[in-house]
Amino acid sequence: MGTMGLALPWKARITSAPRERETRVEPSGFSEGSPNSGVLNGLGEDAALAAGCRTGDLRAYERLYLLHGARMKNLARNLLGNSSDAEDAVQETFLKVQRSIASYRGQSSFATWTFRILINTCYDARRSRMRKKEVASDDTEDKPKLEPRAPGAHPSLRMALERALAELTQHQRDVFLLYEVEGFRHAEIAGMLSITETASKNTLFQAKKNLRQMLEPPRGNAETR
Amino acid sequence: MNITCKDRDRIFQDGTPEEWAALEAHAAACAACTDELRAWKSLSVAAQEMRDYAESSTLWPRIECALAEEADRAARGKARRGWFSFLPQISMGWQAVLAGAFVLILSISAGWVILHQPKRPDASDSSLLKSQALQDVENAEAAYEKAIDKLAVQAKPQLDDPASPLLANYHEKLLVLDSAIAELRAQAGLNPSNAQLRYQLLAMYQEKQRTLEEVLEARQ
Repeated sequence: MGTMGLALPWKARITSAPRERETRVEPSGFSEGSPNSGVLNGLGEDAALAAGCRTGDLRAYERLYLLHGARMKNLARNLLGNSSDAEDAVQETFLKVQRSIASYRGQSSFATWTFRILINTCYDARRSRMRKKEVASDDTEDKPKLEPRAPGAHPSLRMALERALAELTQHQRDVFLLYEVEGFRHAEIAGMLSITETASKNTLFQAKKNLRQMLEPPRGNAETR
Repeated sequence: MNITCKDRDRIFQDGTPEEWAALEAHAAACAACTDELRAWKSLSVAAQEMRDYAESSTLWPRIECALAEEADRAARGKARRGWFSFLPQISMGWQAVLAGAFVLILSISAGWVILHQPKRPDASDSSLLKSQALQDVENAEAAYEKAIDKLAVQAKPQLDDPASPLLANYHEKLLVLDSAIAELRAQAGLNPSNAQLRYQLLAMYQEKQRTLEEVLEARQ
């Protein structure tokens, strides 16, 4: 994979200290009160949520939405490229959860199961969109078209990253988004994508390596000791 | 822990917290690893920029509405399936056997109905005369009537002037028979194919014939 002319002056742009999660084997990145907080800490709540949804209690679905809705929409937007499709995918995911809750046996956490449904729904939506557009080119097979977003602290960096992500394989992009953007653990990603934890780690490493190459030309003679 | 530049990728991929700490320490004295480490972490920082957890005021109401509709639809479907609710509890094999038995019963019933359906009116029904038979009857009737009229002509003098009470009775009887014949012929004219009327008419003619013969015998 060659560079894309998206080279970023990392030193100039990234001045913040490395986050704690980067040095961890399994970054959590969750803090109480954040949209992520319910996934790992509330195993009891997870089971209660599943039980509530199983009985068809709309309040349980609302709780599921409050805990994970924002992250579901963000993931769907990053997979599909726009908010409208993302909201459709989240709604469809809730309907699928309602229809197939009887088949949930607790092999993984309820949240993991829900996100797996969301990811599959996004894949279906992407395939459906591709069929409609009748685009046969391999290069553009499943690259989401990104819509403008509210500017963040590093808007140009984010845009460069989004463009570089579009060049990754679907699998690498999904693992990167789930780990780095949404903050899931490798164990959870493995459950969502039906892969092993090791495969998730390897894929993330390859994804970041490719992104690194695309975003900054490799140094010619880096010294090694 | 002794870390070199060669360990960098392995630690990036699956390093322990201790190995990460050792890599940080190594990078402090290694420009190449410093750049790589910074770039690696920058990707994670950039990824944070792709988080947008802004609340959507319309999404949950939309989902709630769709969930309620789906639940309602499912409830209605369940009620509609009421009679067949036992089907999911039966294995596919038994369901196939039941379906086969149902088809067999249906086929036997249809065959039975076809074989035992009520017969249509027979073409040879004697209560109704067909065109050719009607023609034959009318011809025979006309000839018979003509023959009786000849008898009536021969008996007419005695009947017009009865010499005895017996002949007077014959006369009255013949008047009644003529009246009955006239009425039956009128009905036969309205319903010429009615064989029963023809039989009654024939009986009247026969009775008239016998009466006239008795009148003629009485004269002799």
